[in-house]
Amino acid sequence: MTGVATSSPPALVEIRDLVLEAATPRGTAHILRGVSLDIGRGRILGVVGESGSGKSSLASCLLKLLPSNMTRLTGSVRFDGTDLLPLPEGQMREWRGQRIAMIFQDPMTALNPLFTVATHLVDVLRRRHGDITRAQALERARAALVSVGIADADLRLQAYPHELSGGMRQRVMIAMALLVEPDLLLADEPTTALDATVEAQIVDLLDQLRRKLSGSIVFISHHLGLVAQLCDDVCVMYGGTVVETGPVDEVLAAPLHPYTRALLACEIEAHDEGGRLVSIPGEVQDPVAPHVACVFAPRCSHALDACRAGVPALRDLGGMRKVACIRAEEFA
Amino acid sequence: MTAATPVSDPVSMYRGPSALAPATPPLVSMRGVSVVFGGAVRALDDVSLEIVRGDIVGLVGESGSGKTTLCRVLVGLTQASGGTVDVDGTPVASQLTGDALAFRRKVQMLLQDAVASLSPRMTIGRALREPITIHDLPQGEALQRLDQILRRLGLPADVLQKFPHQISGGQARRVGVARALVMQPQLIVADEPTAGLDVSVQGELLNLLLDLQQEFGLTYLLVSHNLNVIRRVSQRTAVMYLGQIVEEAPTRQLFDKPAHPYAAALLSTNPAIDPQRRHRRIVLQGEIPSVVNPPSGCRFHTRCPVAQSRCSTDAPALAEIGPGRQVRCHFPYSLDPQR
Repeated sequence: MTGVATSSPPALVEIRDLVLEAATPRGTAHILRGVSLDIGRGRILGVVGESGSGKSSLASCLLKLLPSNMTRLTGSVRFDGTDLLPLPEGQMREWRGQRIAMIFQDPMTALNPLFTVATHLVDVLRRRHGDITRAQALERARAALVSVGIADADLRLQAYPHELSGGMRQRVMIAMALLVEPDLLLADEPTTALDATVEAQIVDLLDQLRRKLSGSIVFISHHLGLVAQLCDDVCVMYGGTVVETGPVDEVLAAPLHPYTRALLACEIEAHDEGGRLVSIPGEVQDPVAPHVACVFAPRCSHALDACRAGVPALRDLGGMRKVACIRAEEFA
Repeated sequence: MTAATPVSDPVSMYRGPSALAPATPPLVSMRGVSVVFGGAVRALDDVSLEIVRGDIVGLVGESGSGKTTLCRVLVGLTQASGGTVDVDGTPVASQLTGDALAFRRKVQMLLQDAVASLSPRMTIGRALREPITIHDLPQGEALQRLDQILRRLGLPADVLQKFPHQISGGQARRVGVARALVMQPQLIVADEPTAGLDVSVQGELLNLLLDLQQEFGLTYLLVSHNLNVIRRVSQRTAVMYLGQIVEEAPTRQLFDKPAHPYAAALLSTNPAIDPQRRHRRIVLQGEIPSVVNPPSGCRFHTRCPVAQSRCSTDAPALAEIGPGRQVRCHFPYSLDPQR
């Protein structure tokens, strides 16, 4: 892939040509089809895209928690200079829970029902700091609960996951992630399982925490409004590829890839008036299909013969913006 | 897909029949309906709601607020413990003891997960013909109607021979719609029809539901947690909290100026993509309490940013605060998101 920005400081994570394939009964599924992406230091990167676009698989690659039917993993994921892909599992374990932490979509299944909140938090601290005493760990766990807005922290430390509400469980997950003091925090649809008013609380919390946290955050979501509100950068994925990246305000205000434009047109916004609602005709790319053309071409209203003849490169258009469309300049 | 349908006029879509002809008797009339499970769980408490023929009424609220229970009462799957539910001018209870099948034809439900609601062992054709047999409809006429509906929905004829796993998600959703339409219903209760849908296909489904409303004179109760969807397609919106309707109003009025503090907070959580249009969010403290042990007085007072002492002791009634607008609050309009 072309175009690595030269003016900006080196990114925390540089993903290059990441390919992930898995064996399925129907043939080889191309889950990631050559993803190149930078995660800036101290920035929040929103990853948006529809189901099957490869958002969650990208997060799995960063943690190297991959499906057992995986048949190919190539490219590079350079984290602070170290390529994670060749690392043996033993060394990878050192990264997880030390430099990379994750918040999952469903906090109920991510917490162990047999352990109290205190056990979850103390385990994280003991793993991160081998020499910490139990009393010190408990004190820090208590402080972490307070920092994520949990009232009666002493009482909640003794609670089991089933005794907590959904919003409270997600706060515990966030507290666990913060105790790691990670360089990279992955949040995969962290508010999707929550009700609207609780989602607002969690988004508010993430917004406050970003000022305390020195690391970077990858916020995976299908909710463009939330990404617009919370993130610095955005990466739009489609069919296992990155179609567009850049500063969130610029990309959403003036999208350059036809898919980004179509996706924004489909969003029903609070100021929309009546008339027909917009949808993108056709179906998403079959993951088993070979990667020989632009993945969006079959649904794209601007597609030319050239779009079906080759895979478009993710081109650097300056100003931190990159687009994988041969006609991007025409939409500027 | 045959796209011969006219583009509906946005203005009349917004006003809807409820604004034009208030005198017609409502299709649905719920008065003081309560549902108590196991003697302790008040899933619905004193719910009153009218749905005028031809309207789309949106129902919003968080999990545990009673949306699904209300839907179940309307389709006759759950019996109300108190109050009256009339559909088409007759109590649901007596329709169910009389000609239950006739009632079930009148009120059809669209389920959230279209694929899961189709039996994996039945071909689509069998799944679509089964209700015709159950309801003992004249075969020739019903099958002809089914054929027309399939064509109208843009489903290929060979879909009838396929099993659910062989069709796409979009086709499965249209099969669900076809299965409801073949009964020639008057009311369609749609419980989260767009939940789990990618935004790129959500518009297609909503356009279809709107077109069918016009073509078949349908009335919808549309449950959704997506406030933008509700705002865009419904004429009236009811907001539920802890088993009660706390506000019910013409959709535009509600979204422009919510009267109930909960409605104001809920609507303010809707983040806009354009930073210029983003407004202040009202972030409520705490979470929705349990219906097993609801708060005293106003059920929302434990989370209400503008609650006063009276609210904790004195339960407000659903009261009219304007034409066609009712709210359950002692101090309506006291929480203004614009401020």
